[in-house]
Amino acid sequence: MVRDKDRKGVPKGLVFDIQKFSLHDGPGIRTVVFLKGCPLSCLWCSNPEGQGKAPELVYRRDRCIGTAQCGQCMEICLEQAIEVDPSGAVFIDRDRCNGCGDCSHVCPSQALEVSGRWVSVQEVLAIVEEDDAFYARSGGGLTLSGGEPLAQGAFSLALLRAARARGIDTAIETTGLCNWKTLREAASLADRIFFDIKCLASERHQRVTGVSNQPIVDNFRRLRDAFPDLETVVRTPIVPGVNDSEDEIQAIRGFVQRTGRGCRYELLPYHGFGGPKYATLGKRYTLTHLRPPSAARMQALQRVATLPHC
Amino acid sequence: MLEAFQSSPTSPGARVLTPQEARIERGEPIGLVGDGAQSKRARIQRMLEGFREQPIRLNVERARLLTESMKTSEGQPMVLRWAKALAHILEHHPIHIEQDEILVGSAGPPGRYAVVYSELVGPGRFYTHPYELVPSKPGDPIEMTEQDVATLKEEILPYWEANSYHKAIMNALPEETRCLMERIFVVTPTASGRSMLAWAHDYEKVLERGIASIRDEAARRLDALDPFDAKAQVESRPFLEAVGLVGDAMIAFARRYGELAAAMAESEPGEERRRELREIAAVCQRVPEHPARTFHEAVQSQWFVQTVSRLEQAVGGVVGNGRIDQYLYPYYRQDIDEGRLTEDEALVLLESIWVGMARSVDVYAKPGMPSLTDGFAHWEATTVGGLTPDGRDASNELSYLILKSKREFPLNYPDLAARIHARTPNAFLHAVCETIKDGSGFPKLFCDDEIIPLLVAKGGTLEEANDYCITGCSETKMLNREGIATGCAWINLGAILEMTLRNGRMNCYGNSLVGLQTGDPRTFQSFDEMWNAFTRQLENVVRHTFIQQYVADTLKSRYIASPMFSMLHDLCMADCKDIHSGPIEGALYLGFFDVMGFGTVIDSLAALRTLVFEEGKLSMDTLLEALDHDFEGYEAVRQMCLNAPKYGNYDPEVDRIGHDIEARFIDLARAHKTAFGGELDLRYVSVTSHIPLGAVVGATPDGRKAREPLSESISPSQGRDVRGPTATLASISATKCAQHKERAARLLNMKLSPASIAGEAGTRKLMALVRTACDMRMWHIQFNIVNRDTLLAAQRDPEKYRNLLVRVAGYSAYFVDLTPALQSEIIRRTEHEF
Repeated sequence: MVRDKDRKGVPKGLVFDIQKFSLHDGPGIRTVVFLKGCPLSCLWCSNPEGQGKAPELVYRRDRCIGTAQCGQCMEICLEQAIEVDPSGAVFIDRDRCNGCGDCSHVCPSQALEVSGRWVSVQEVLAIVEEDDAFYARSGGGLTLSGGEPLAQGAFSLALLRAARARGIDTAIETTGLCNWKTLREAASLADRIFFDIKCLASERHQRVTGVSNQPIVDNFRRLRDAFPDLETVVRTPIVPGVNDSEDEIQAIRGFVQRTGRGCRYELLPYHGFGGPKYATLGKRYTLTHLRPPSAARMQALQRVATLPHC
Repeated sequence: MLEAFQSSPTSPGARVLTPQEARIERGEPIGLVGDGAQSKRARIQRMLEGFREQPIRLNVERARLLTESMKTSEGQPMVLRWAKALAHILEHHPIHIEQDEILVGSAGPPGRYAVVYSELVGPGRFYTHPYELVPSKPGDPIEMTEQDVATLKEEILPYWEANSYHKAIMNALPEETRCLMERIFVVTPTASGRSMLAWAHDYEKVLERGIASIRDEAARRLDALDPFDAKAQVESRPFLEAVGLVGDAMIAFARRYGELAAAMAESEPGEERRRELREIAAVCQRVPEHPARTFHEAVQSQWFVQTVSRLEQAVGGVVGNGRIDQYLYPYYRQDIDEGRLTEDEALVLLESIWVGMARSVDVYAKPGMPSLTDGFAHWEATTVGGLTPDGRDASNELSYLILKSKREFPLNYPDLAARIHARTPNAFLHAVCETIKDGSGFPKLFCDDEIIPLLVAKGGTLEEANDYCITGCSETKMLNREGIATGCAWINLGAILEMTLRNGRMNCYGNSLVGLQTGDPRTFQSFDEMWNAFTRQLENVVRHTFIQQYVADTLKSRYIASPMFSMLHDLCMADCKDIHSGPIEGALYLGFFDVMGFGTVIDSLAALRTLVFEEGKLSMDTLLEALDHDFEGYEAVRQMCLNAPKYGNYDPEVDRIGHDIEARFIDLARAHKTAFGGELDLRYVSVTSHIPLGAVVGATPDGRKAREPLSESISPSQGRDVRGPTATLASISATKCAQHKERAARLLNMKLSPASIAGEAGTRKLMALVRTACDMRMWHIQFNIVNRDTLLAAQRDPEKYRNLLVRVAGYSAYFVDLTPALQSEIIRRTEHEF
């Protein structure tokens, strides 16, 4: 069932969501394709289902109607990974679960679903092109996001190539942590790129994202060198206690400026909306008590971030 | 990228308040909004203060005068009887001029009022049984005195009980049809609930020619009638005499106001007000008798026509304002150019119309009856923008001024409609979108590129079609070309589905046979069999709907005539025929029938097909049992139903069902000719009727519980469109049989969160959304820009949110005035935010 190539040998992609009418991921009205799998594991990640590289079982307890009325999932699971929990709902033993998804097919309330589906370029494009009329009026198009979309390099490139051939405006939202050749190829195919730089302090970056920022910083420099005219937007998620200081933003801004003109810099305040998703994946969210930065803080940082010549 | 922050840099996920919400949060009392508006238009501001606390008084006087006159004219031609009655009303109806008014004329007592249309006595309109009439208690929405009750009981209702159009229809219906109509809310006839459906007058003609010119034309033609032409003497003569009577009466009515103003000026101590009253007196001497010369005269002339119109008859949705930015523009431009008028003075005159409309409340039913139009809705649709008759963009400075007034004037009037076409200037669309973003739900939008070709296909000329105006909540009208439409029937598609699933029976009618016996669904081997049973039930209901419409059409002219409406219509004047006496030579008769519960039934059929016939996850027996038990004890079944594919998500398989339902209705409509040789078109406008209609329908296979509201108008079921507004629009588009002309309004409500369209970038995106909706040939679209939290808070604390306007279905209403059922329904509608 799981195939990573379509009949013509073009790689399939593992996609966990396709969101239409996205208004904040590039110009116009856009469709965002979220690719699963990410080399980073940022503490504040709002799409934890985008981290893992394989399909994952999601259990939304609030939708479950309980074993008293149902219990079909337990009956069908061959791994005995589903148990009754004390409240009458169920508990997923993640160690036993192999992600086969049989339980999701019998679940009447869609409390159990598998996040991540292997889809071909054609399938994705068909969905993206449903909204053609909106792109035509708004200047919108397709945005590749994730996860890290360029971690599925072959699929992403094939999708971008097909989109270009069909006149669809494209944008990429990347962590910057990917193979340079993939990034270079993607940059030659996309109309714009949103590039995340979380912080420049390498050790802190390692602590909050699980990886060093060196390859990210290197990729950014190379990108700017190779594609000085590509519309590039640097984004920093402002996470209190991590990077919400003027010094930090000043540093990133300086770094971006040194790579040349014509690059925008945006700050995005942290939000906790992704928090509730962690439990549905059997994961723990560590920032439960973190509050978003205040409007005043954001304004102060925004002043620092504003680049000349934008 | 890992974070995938989806929000704008400025306010990610933060709650963005619309200007309307912000005003309520600040606790501002109702009043004009905007820089210095309250002082620049102080007169309007004073009229607004305490407006919503004013009691609604019943106007029994119009019905009393009507009855008094009708009793004296028995046996005479109907058009003459109504002309005499209208003249009697205009001569004796009490008049007043309120403090601060510069626009005069009212169809009721001072303050807010509701006119009793006793000729429409019956379940659709007003107090069926006189013995149920009691004076109002403190706190009742409508104030009815003991005197009102006595007058109604003794002088008015007995006469109309004996001369009831409603009873005549019911008596004339074939037995089988009557039985179906008596099952309330399966097919709901509305013919006797209003004299006719939405309408707008040719105000332009009155402004240009004056009433005297029309009256004189009738007199000349009367003189010219061949004395030996029996038909002319019997049919044309009474019509022309009626025009003469009504013309004189309208002129005299205006003069009464003129005399009152002059008399008030005599005793007025304030110099400024004295001057105003003298000006009012002069204007009322001039219009509507003669052509208007100034903006003030034009507005006053229009308002007199509208006032007399209210006194003459009840139109569904109340008579509209037509293309106000077109016919008033020459007067506006000229007065501005010649320095006679400022923008603020123009706004005061326009807003005087708005106040006048808001004072007149439309009562259909007594308090406590199931609500068909929540919140005392009425729709004096006021059209701006669109194309000129010769196909150019029609927007002008007055269009923008009216949009400005809509942002600044705090009541839910006028019911503003903007026509959008491919070449609508961005600047106009920008102003429209900024007005929508204010949050009160105005203006509603109409797509010229959908409507104009349809009107041409239906028989209008391009010139007529280009010049259409909106009437009612979402209808269109080609003035001087279309004949009237008798009140349409509402077809409960949910009931049709229930009959299909219960072999013709309905649970709420004691499991009695309401439809055809199309077989026990447990015996159906395929979805096709289910579909065939469904379409047979549908055809049966439509057949009876057409029969009742025929009866209503043909009987009406024996009970109702409208000489004033007729004298303003070119074709009625040419044919010397009252507008209710069809067919009028050259007139297009474009009626319709409404289908309610489209989304509910598409979803139900989709669930049946998927769960029972395709996947076999459910047996028909289990599903029907679950429906019988309203899903009690069948939660797993209900969950499967709720999670089956749904309309509104651009799922081609599901949308195809909607398309096929529409195709079946349209086939029937295409094969049908009305009594006047016109067509009855398929329309999806539920206003608020999907709530009472839902109350007679049991649990449905889409997971909806018994008695819950049906889906609303063309919109997907509440909260079931989860793929965003673009998918919703695409789905709606996919269900349309675009190749046929027997289609009318498809009303679409869309809820957007204020955050999703915040700022200038948000406005641009809303503009693009609207442009695309027009590219996709939506008939109508309207937005609710309001936070869900605000609606929930308003339910908890109605006092604080008294002034919160929301878009309901073709109109905006105060949220707190709506029934709890409708409030919850609005909250459940999907809010699109990404």
